Amino acid sequence: MVRKLVFLLLLVLLVAPTTFGFAQEPQGLPVTVPREQMFVLDQIFRYGVAGNYNMWAPGAVTPHRHALMSETFWYRDQETGERIYGLASSDPIYNDDYTQMNVDLRDNIYWSDGVQFTADDVVFTVETLMATPTLTESGWGAQFNQFVDSVEKTGDFGVQFNLGTENPRFHTLFETRWNGVYIMPKHIYENIDDPTTYVDVNPIVLGNYVPIQFDPNGFWELFQRRADPERSVAGVITGNVGPEYVLSIFYGDSARKAIAMSRGELDTYFDADIEAFQTTLDTTPTARSWYTEFPWAYPNENDDRHFFFNYEFDPILQNRDVRWALALSINMVQLQTEYIGGVAKVSALPITPTAPLRTLYYDPLEDWLINLQIEIEPGTMYTPYDPTVPDQIAAWAESEGYTVPGTPREVFGSGWWNFAPDVAERLLLDNGFTRDGSGNWLKPDGQPWTLDVQAPPDENDAFRMATAAADMWSDFGIDVNLQGLERNSWDQNRFTGQYGLTTMWQSFALTDGDMWPQMQQLHSRYYIPNGEDARTSGGGWLNTTRLQDPQIDAFIDEMATLLPGSDESVELNREFLMYWTENMLSLPVIGFKKFVTWDERYWTGFPTSENPNYMPLYWFQAGKFAIQNLTAAPAS
Amino acid sequence: MKLTRAEQLTHTGANLQVRFSRVILSSEGYSTVTLFKEFVLPRLVQWVVVIVIGVTITFMIPRLSPVNPVDQALGRMTTFQTMNPEATQALRETFLDLYGLEGNIFDQYLNFWRRLLVGDLGPSFTSFPTPVMQIIGNSVGWTIGLLGISTFVSWLLGLILGSLAGYFSNHWWSQLLEKILITVYPIPYYILAFVLLMIFTYYLPLFPLVGGARGTPGFTWEYIGSILYFGFLPALSLIIGAVAFRFIMSKALTTSEKSSDYVQYAELAALPKRKILFSYVTRNTMLPQVTDLALSLGALFEGALITEVVFGYPGLGYTLFNAVNSADYNVIMGITLLSIVGIATASLLVDLSYPLFDPRVRYR
Repeated sequence: MVRKLVFLLLLVLLVAPTTFGFAQEPQGLPVTVPREQMFVLDQIFRYGVAGNYNMWAPGAVTPHRHALMSETFWYRDQETGERIYGLASSDPIYNDDYTQMNVDLRDNIYWSDGVQFTADDVVFTVETLMATPTLTESGWGAQFNQFVDSVEKTGDFGVQFNLGTENPRFHTLFETRWNGVYIMPKHIYENIDDPTTYVDVNPIVLGNYVPIQFDPNGFWELFQRRADPERSVAGVITGNVGPEYVLSIFYGDSARKAIAMSRGELDTYFDADIEAFQTTLDTTPTARSWYTEFPWAYPNENDDRHFFFNYEFDPILQNRDVRWALALSINMVQLQTEYIGGVAKVSALPITPTAPLRTLYYDPLEDWLINLQIEIEPGTMYTPYDPTVPDQIAAWAESEGYTVPGTPREVFGSGWWNFAPDVAERLLLDNGFTRDGSGNWLKPDGQPWTLDVQAPPDENDAFRMATAAADMWSDFGIDVNLQGLERNSWDQNRFTGQYGLTTMWQSFALTDGDMWPQMQQLHSRYYIPNGEDARTSGGGWLNTTRLQDPQIDAFIDEMATLLPGSDESVELNREFLMYWTENMLSLPVIGFKKFVTWDERYWTGFPTSENPNYMPLYWFQAGKFAIQNLTAAPAS
Repeated sequence: MKLTRAEQLTHTGANLQVRFSRVILSSEGYSTVTLFKEFVLPRLVQWVVVIVIGVTITFMIPRLSPVNPVDQALGRMTTFQTMNPEATQALRETFLDLYGLEGNIFDQYLNFWRRLLVGDLGPSFTSFPTPVMQIIGNSVGWTIGLLGISTFVSWLLGLILGSLAGYFSNHWWSQLLEKILITVYPIPYYILAFVLLMIFTYYLPLFPLVGGARGTPGFTWEYIGSILYFGFLPALSLIIGAVAFRFIMSKALTTSEKSSDYVQYAELAALPKRKILFSYVTRNTMLPQVTDLALSLGALFEGALITEVVFGYPGLGYTLFNAVNSADYNVIMGITLLSIVGIATASLLVDLSYPLFDPRVRYR
């Protein structure tokens, strides 16, 4: 009897849940919407809390949501470099001394409840953010309080910002890289007593999608297209209605995303490691990335991976020759092919080699790079730049049986520094370094030279790049202490200066080529000494290097006064890049690449290298156009 | 000498039994008030002291670490975009004020107790203004459901199978079962979980990859069925490993008990084997196993981080992990408080309830 009972219990435990599951629907998605009407995208992280769509509150979650729900004046597409008009119908119009900015607004955009969008919404948004510092999203309120004296409407579809000081870049607050000021529905928020603590469960939006269902545990959110997509910005721009439903869902690691896509439960994922991506190609015949073949990945997200030096961790890194020695002992072709799989663009300058930025900076500076010389011993000059690096990578790709889809420079980026360990050795010897009996380097004071390198393994390319360099520097005789740190520890070490070299990422130019917004935090007025938290001065990433250079300060001060995009501004930026590169103030390595991968089983029309209308970075605010452009696949 | 967990639990049970026996012996002839003063009250005081000390330590540790919620909040913002440094400084002040982190640590500590006593754990910093109670409320049901059921099922299965295998140790099925479970037991949990995930979501795509249920929460068959469906694989992974451990413990205890004189006497008296096993042997092995069950249930509130991550299942473990990473002090305090109270209460209840499980204690 007991045996029978135990057996029965086990049987029930095994069979009941599967029976329940199959009784509902033979798939594992958490919603019951018809699959062919729903675009399923990879949510880039699991939300700490869901169900509050107050996009201005301190804990607001913005990825995906801002693409689907929010609007701002202008979108800067990272693929094309073009400005796309969002709510604005004109460029920013400044007065002569940049103390006023006027903007014309579209007159054919409506909120999801049918109320027309007007200048009143803009004025209300700016004034509310200024009056409510606790609406902290993106620091817009604090920046308005810094720059804006007043804002006024010049008509139902025109606004004027009166600025307290000259500011030729004020419009960038309303122009996206990641996002731009989300405009508030005045008719809703003017009735809210405390917008900071307001929980907006059923938001009224300007975007094309309204949230209708969510997981309280933050794994997924379901959005439905509004009834009038033609009255949203993305509808007007693309002329397409977009999928009826959009589900954002967090699957976790790369392997789980690959499994989900193979099961038809994920239409696009934002990135994966190369192994998971190749598994996807093997298991999902309808999946692809930017290129249909090698090198597959999307290469034009505007961000660049460097080795940044901490100038106060080990004084030896303050020596320019030492930094050059580190550069010349890296074999870039080997790093890019064997460690990165040949799928990212090489960057010799601290600028992402996207098509627009290549035209603006890489091409004009190519001759300068080719002719650049450094002094390796008194009176002995050396030419470090190797313009053939992309060609060598292309040759490797062809030897692997791949076809390169474009010129080597278009596909693999810029040239880089020669792999010249002999020259690196001369540089070090000239600076008093010696080798011990085992061939390992000793510092001028006779102490062993240990290089502390830190990278977060969850940033796949950053960690692989660090591993490659660590291997090469070890071969060169440097004792490398490579630490793969959990992201928070890695961040904390950077901010408090507990690192020698770190694999930080930063493009020095925005998509339109402007550099001052990125560079300003390098100014020595934001310097914080090692051991103290770099964030306390208001700096963010770049001042973690603890660099203090009057020449850099002078560049930044002058950049601030020039109109972005003007010839003078671009020329000054180029001079800055030459100074930075000549002194090897950081060691740029590769641009960002993303295996943004999608399955064409249910939806077509995602941007591709053959059809590069918009960037495929759907989690950015400007990612809305890629989603809006989708149409149902014929088979579905 | 290092003891196995089964041996430790056996010793713990025996020690507690002895301590309890002494109290009962000494209380013979005493009034209920005396019993309360000498036995119950000290344990209640100890319970309160454990909670206060635990909470105080948990309050201090994150504040002594170099990670703080204000910088974490600013860090999250600058991950996606560069901000004007002056504006960033202004935001810093705003966050300090908003999070109630101005003032010294002692003031914050007093404020914490003041709020706690009125049942307010404050807002989450990373998900401001969401109250911590809501965040815990979203997770705790999943944790209790998954861990509670899998703990109880594995305890029951381990107890039954271990007792049977220990008492009928010469049977082929007993030896086969032992070999299988001893093989399973040392497999690291994350490997077992990942293997199950691969088998049942990829090679045999029977189960979902993520989430705790399908559709809108409600008391419908559809929703409840989906909870079982989504929770099956994570629960199975937990049960397999836990059954193996409890099987080994139960079999060892049964084998030991089987050689006792009273068992041999019962067998000589030709009592039915089922009666000998379940009425005598198993009852005599229960003390350490009840202790194990109670402490395991008390520890539910720690969550099951690896299970939650591998199976994409909601629960307290991941919530706590995120809170620690982002220095979300209030959420850390909320979950830890729950965990400390859970374990301390389970220990207290075990301590007080031995007489109910073991008549020897009562009679002494």
